[in-house]
Amino acid sequence: MTRQNKTALIIGAGLQGCSIALFLAKAGWKVTLFDKNVAGRHASSVNAGGLRMLLRDWREYPLAQRAMWHWANLDQLVGAAAAKSCEVRLGVSQIALALDEAEMSWAISRAEDMARRNLGQEELLSRDAVRSLLPGVSGRALGGLISRADGHANPAAATRAFREACMAAGAQIVQNCQVQGLAPVGGGGWRVTTPTGNHEGGVLVNCGGAWGADVAAMAGQALPLRTVAPSMMVTARVQPFLGPVVIGIDRPLSFKQSAVGSLVIGGGILGKPCPERDTSFTVMDRMTQSAAATLEAFPALAHAPVLRTWTGLEGATPDGIPFIGPGPGTPDLWHVFGFCGHGFHLSPAVGESVAHSLVSGSLHPMLAPFGCNRFAHGANA
Amino acid sequence: MTHSPTTPPMNADVIIVGCGPSGMAAAVELATAGCSVLVMDMQPAPGGQIFRNLEANTRGRNPGSKSVLAALGPSYRAGVALIERFRACKGIDYRSQTTVWEVRPDGTVGWLRGMEAGYVRAPCVLLAHGAMERPAPFPGWTLPGVMTAGAVQTLLKAGNLKPSGNIVLAGTGPLLLLLATQLCHLGVKPALIGRTDNFSHSLKAMRHLRGGGLSPVIKGVGWLARLKAKGVRTVSGLTHLAAEGARKVEAVSFAAGGRRERLPCDLLIVHDGIVPAIDIPNGAGLALQWDQTNASWRPHTTTDGLATPALPPELEPDHCAIRITGDARRIGGADAAMAHGRLAAQAILAEQGKGSGITPQHRKAVRKALSVRPFLDTAFPPGLSASLPDDATIVCRCEELSAGTLRAKIHAGFNNMDALRGETRCGMGPCQGRNCMVSAARLIMEAHNTSGPVPPTFRGRPPIRPLPLGALASLTGLDPRATELLTLEDKPEHDQEDKAHDPAE
Ligand SMILES: Cc1cc2nc3c(=O)[nH]c(=O)nc-3n(C[C@H](O)[C@H](O)[C@H](O)COP(=O)(O)OP(=O)(O)OC[C@H]3O[C@@H](n4cnc5c(N)ncnc54)[C@H](O)[C@@H]3O)c2cc1C
Repeated sequence: MTRQNKTALIIGAGLQGCSIALFLAKAGWKVTLFDKNVAGRHASSVNAGGLRMLLRDWREYPLAQRAMWHWANLDQLVGAAAAKSCEVRLGVSQIALALDEAEMSWAISRAEDMARRNLGQEELLSRDAVRSLLPGVSGRALGGLISRADGHANPAAATRAFREACMAAGAQIVQNCQVQGLAPVGGGGWRVTTPTGNHEGGVLVNCGGAWGADVAAMAGQALPLRTVAPSMMVTARVQPFLGPVVIGIDRPLSFKQSAVGSLVIGGGILGKPCPERDTSFTVMDRMTQSAAATLEAFPALAHAPVLRTWTGLEGATPDGIPFIGPGPGTPDLWHVFGFCGHGFHLSPAVGESVAHSLVSGSLHPMLAPFGCNRFAHGANA
Repeated sequence: MTHSPTTPPMNADVIIVGCGPSGMAAAVELATAGCSVLVMDMQPAPGGQIFRNLEANTRGRNPGSKSVLAALGPSYRAGVALIERFRACKGIDYRSQTTVWEVRPDGTVGWLRGMEAGYVRAPCVLLAHGAMERPAPFPGWTLPGVMTAGAVQTLLKAGNLKPSGNIVLAGTGPLLLLLATQLCHLGVKPALIGRTDNFSHSLKAMRHLRGGGLSPVIKGVGWLARLKAKGVRTVSGLTHLAAEGARKVEAVSFAAGGRRERLPCDLLIVHDGIVPAIDIPNGAGLALQWDQTNASWRPHTTTDGLATPALPPELEPDHCAIRITGDARRIGGADAAMAHGRLAAQAILAEQGKGSGITPQHRKAVRKALSVRPFLDTAFPPGLSASLPDDATIVCRCEELSAGTLRAKIHAGFNNMDALRGETRCGMGPCQGRNCMVSAARLIMEAHNTSGPVPPTFRGRPPIRPLPLGALASLTGLDPRATELLTLEDKPEHDQEDKAHDPAE
């Protein structure tokens, strides 16, 4: 069996690729990563860095919980100095704010739903509780949900830390090298074609992010993916007032205050993706709604100047959770993409569970919900 | 004007960004021919950099503005007539204190005034936003007490504030000498003028002298004579400039004539020439070209100022609505700016089926005003920024990144502009890269060991100027085709209990 030669090729040196490489390299595998850009250039280093169990899809829960453990013990994965640079802040909590009746009743049923599933990280917050936790919050806030263990980390630093850790563990990263074709090798394993030559490995992992479906298509596999460009903006520094990350329920709201005082605002507003050009564009006409949602929650911030906006490219699947698993009929070709805007948090556990599956030869149970076949004709999902 | 619900309405025939000599000259020309013109500028009054606060200073009765007016001389007062004509013109909707934070090649302009903001549109947008001083990082340039000549002039014109103490001027270019004369006139005698240009530059420049361009040269000779008469010490061929001091500048050191020198100093005024401001064109996704002589970018335009978009095809408009004029297009000074403003206005009028068309006189006026450029470019080559800074010198002051840090990252593979920015945060601060972009691009070229065709810029994104959240939340004039709320729908659903134990695989 080709797996016995313990070699893996990984397409895409973002967080997912580097995390898988790190765990495989630590297990003694020989790993080569290819990225058409500089490693970590895309979604992994430009995201909001949110680490949250709050409003997590129940199917992602076990994976997300395991990831939380890794973020809390990051030094064990990437070393103490690198872990420190990642500015992991857990326990500052994330709060989903209910600003109207509909959002409040959704929050109540969400809390009931999660209790029934025994996934008990989220607590319902009363009007008064929200007010005392969030100074300056609008008088219209009716309450919300809190997940106290949640927090955030610095995505650019974390991406750098995983990149450097996997290299230190022996993985090789070939940058500015686009994979243009894939083919199975007779007798097992896969070959990739790049402008600088062909490479072969026992296992091939597609961590192509927003381009994941294009890579899958090179192997003749059609996986449904929409390329989106989530947008962010950041303000000048304002007086520190906010510890928790605040997110919306039906509103395009997500924001936190950085250590230096600037407000980092997201909320899932989409810009214009241009994946063929490796870029995406801010659409300010839409950002206005994200600013409005922020002010609805915190009216006193009207004067905070927005200094910058940016967008990143991400893949979104039809059901809001990623593909993680072997392609249909290709046990040695894995797909790991389509993280729908929450893959930063999951990445350490993705690396661990994928590497564990590849090394052991059997699918890690946490990965069961993410099968690549789930949209195939006749699949019962 | 008719419009379908999907295409937003037009707000004017022409929008002009910038109310300096080129913007005003174009506005007058366009409005006189019957166009509705919207002029936006962040200053409180018309004038641009050169005629900043001129109306107030000519009207002002306080002795401060009188003496400033006298010191700034005839080239400052020359703007009075144009400003009066601009003010008197019907058909010009002038919006002062209005900052432009986005321009799109289809003719959309994002504006901010106080806490109000929005978009306006016109079939043609004329960018007349002017120049900026060439950023020149040298050891100590970020210390308090180091200012650029342009900033000192702004204080003189707008605040009637004059500097005091031990003043050293260093760098090159007409503005440096002009400012020195103006300071002398105000009774402030600089301790030293250190010119990075030298005699051989002047000698070479002589070859470019043309009859039509003599008057600026005569002006310059006059300044030098006045400085000499006042006994101001001047050195040329200055290199190795450094500002020294713990919390603020206390001394400057430099080399000139084969000697190192150190002088006490309270205010170091530096100037390394001016270059077109490219933040708006870069943010608009317009093509830029590299001007090797001037170590700077400038927008790629036709002689009539028409710009060229460089966007992905799906974002490119059917036709580019943007023209660029004045120093924003090519450094040429006030006369050239006015001449080109008129020429660009005629080109716009011709497009809209109005006006008398571009005449040979229009072109001749531009050529004549620009004819002194080869002389000036040769006489005053970039000096402080001629060689790249040493490793210890700060390049990105917002994020406090040294040239050495950037070199190391470039060497480690972050060798394109956006990758370098992503890795180091260079250019991510409040100045949005205005100060560090050229240095970062040149450091990358240094590593590639080429002078390259066109060094790339940081990708510009709106807003290119700070925009308060409250203003952004209530933007007017949105494009209905773009406002459709597109969000990443990731609110989890309840009640999937039936599937909880039946995963797809
Ligand atoms: C603005 C924004 C905010 C976000 N906020 C959060 C958040 O708060 N919390 C959270 O958990 N997640 C968040 N996310 C999502 C998170 O960033 C992503 O899910 C995660 O980074 C995905 O990692 P990746 O390695 O799969 O993707 P990427 O980092 O995009 O890596 C994919 C790589 O594959 C390479 N590649 C593709 N095709 C090829 C090819 N043919 N050959 C060679 N290389 C190729 C690409 O160049 C790229 O580097 C956000 C995303 C964005 C855009």
